[in-house]
Amino acid sequence: MSECGWLSDRMPAVVLGRAQWTQQELQHLNRCGICQQEWEVVRGANRLGRKAADGLDPSAVAGSVLARLTGARNVDRRLRRVWTFSGLAAAAAVLVTVWTGAPGSNGSAPPTASLAAGQLEIPLPELESLYPAELDSVLQTMDEPNGRSSNPEDPDLGDLDPEELEHVLDSWEG
Amino acid sequence: MPGSIRPDPSTDPALVAAYLDGSERAAAELVRRHARPLGRFLYSLGAQQADLEDLVQETLFRAFRRVDSWRGGASFRSWLLTIGSNLLRDQARKQKGKLMSLEDRDIVDDSDPHSDLAAAEAGDRVREGLARLPRLQREVFLLRVQEGTDYEEIAATLGTTPGAARVHYHHAVKRLKELVR
Repeated sequence: MSECGWLSDRMPAVVLGRAQWTQQELQHLNRCGICQQEWEVVRGANRLGRKAADGLDPSAVAGSVLARLTGARNVDRRLRRVWTFSGLAAAAAVLVTVWTGAPGSNGSAPPTASLAAGQLEIPLPELESLYPAELDSVLQTMDEPNGRSSNPEDPDLGDLDPEELEHVLDSWEG
Repeated sequence: MPGSIRPDPSTDPALVAAYLDGSERAAAELVRRHARPLGRFLYSLGAQQADLEDLVQETLFRAFRRVDSWRGGASFRSWLLTIGSNLLRDQARKQKGKLMSLEDRDIVDDSDPHSDLAAAEAGDRVREGLARLPRLQREVFLLRVQEGTDYEEIAATLGTTPGAARVHYHHAVKRLKELVR
């Protein structure tokens, strides 16, 4: 490797204070215009943004980030609850529909599917183990027999910002 | 206990593990360590000073939201810088022209009054030059001269090879030397 190449490889470490020039390297640097120019570039780049970054208050940033993380976790938890509830209710409604339409049924079905869904306690542990996206997919499949297939352009929960999402969840949870 | 090795609680991986176990203090320490270098990196990549705090905050928020995807192939810092860089690029796409409009940016950025004037002037020109480099060259160069990241880690971080990272670095230096001349 040429002396210039050697110096070039060492520049980042020296500019960061992790290494120092040897006498021999310094002598080369003092007489080589190409290396001087590169050293100037490396030093200039190393100084970039220091003042701008010094304006940041890491404690304030940490406070904001942690507050947002807490908020996001709460939204996640509520979404999971809503999805689980919706999944159970929809599954119960499907079961009631199947039950009332089954051969041999005496027709004494509950007055409405939604009432039945609210009253029935059907353990569906397989639904609880699903990820939200999978549960969503199952629910969409369940919606289709009623002819309510969703329009891909319809707004989805994912399109909402956290505040809007909170609002929607509040309205769902009552 | 003989033979048991406890991880150093002050390392980034240990802090990340503590955060995943629910320690907010660990998260705060990670922010304290990395917020300023992240801000400096984003500023050097072309972020405007007025946007810097929001960008840093958003980057850290996104990083913590998916911190379990950090595998440790690259350092936490490098991983964070990559998330920030991607975020900056996405924002630049949304606000076309805002990212690299050098005229709008506060060019003077030398906090040390005793520093070499030539280096300060070079810094201004380097910043202008950086804005004209391809993204990979710019990021490799900054990871080298601001973070001292080696080519292996740069390659792991940016999804390239150490050899290619070295080439990107030298191309960046060559272009910047032409601009600073």
